[in-house]
Amino acid sequence: MTLEEIRERVGGTVAVDVEGASAGSCYVGDLLSDIMGHAGEGCALVTIQNHLNTIAVCTLVGCEVIVLCHGRPVPPDMAAAAAREGVAVVVTPRSQYAAALALKELPPADK
Amino acid sequence: MRFDLHVHSCLSPCANLEMSPAEIVARARAAGLDGLALTDHQSARNCPAIAECARRAGLACLFGLEVQTAEEVHTLALFDTVEQALALTDAVYAALPKRVNDPETFGDQPVVTWDNDIVELEWRILAMGCRLSIPDVAEKVHALGGLYLAAHIDRPNFSVLGSLGAIPDGCFDAVELSRTADAAIWLPKAEGFAVTRASDAHNLDDVARVWTEADLMLVGEGAA
Repeated sequence: MTLEEIRERVGGTVAVDVEGASAGSCYVGDLLSDIMGHAGEGCALVTIQNHLNTIAVCTLVGCEVIVLCHGRPVPPDMAAAAAREGVAVVVTPRSQYAAALALKELPPADK
Repeated sequence: MRFDLHVHSCLSPCANLEMSPAEIVARARAAGLDGLALTDHQSARNCPAIAECARRAGLACLFGLEVQTAEEVHTLALFDTVEQALALTDAVYAALPKRVNDPETFGDQPVVTWDNDIVELEWRILAMGCRLSIPDVAEKVHALGGLYLAAHIDRPNFSVLGSLGAIPDGCFDAVELSRTADAAIWLPKAEGFAVTRASDAHNLDDVARVWTEADLMLVGEGAA
């Protein structure tokens, strides 16, 4: 699923645009240790964890798209790291559950 | 006496590499602090170095670490001695993810001497939470004779209120407000707790931007 398709389905805006970013699965989580342990390569990450370290974890697990829920802002250091590491960020006003429902065609990314 | 009770050194992966113990102590002195606490993420391994720097500069120093708990809450453990802080570090290290730090992703983690030689690069991953819960850490800190604080409770990420929505009973001796917290909003939420305010400095410019003031006698002062 392309970044634009994800943005459209979750009713969000692209805060960090990365050309060619896409997802083949989805994981929902807010604890970085849980995400690091269970999210799979190529997933879209649905989360409220708007922090610089979220980008680091996405880099480790191979996630190219973050869907940031409840309209949480992207701090400047997180945006800069995302652009540098090639991780796109979509911000949606929806909850994690609502965003995941909107992406239900993506299979679970659980390891 | 003025203390900055939450300062990171270069050992913290997210801190600037300029944060050597010697530079931190020099900056604290220049800013008029009487003391500071070194609180790196998940580790007190730069405490021996800052102890020596502080001794040479005549600066009071507490030794500790900022423990990221299983709840992904940032908490501060503060001790009188390096040995206590290193004992808690051992317990935290045993509960860290079995994963090697990637400096390109999270940042470098140098352990240094007081005169800024690099002893080694810490291989453990200090940017992630450990498996110890807040009550687990509280028990260990108190058994070692330290104080346990909830860090930057006003922040939405990695704070006790942000992650848990409330301050757990029976764990914390005090709570910390970050330097930008509006006291009128946050002091009522900290009711019943002693409150500190600290810089949480990750670079030299932020050391002593705010501090906590305490009425303390210098050792020997009362004997005169």
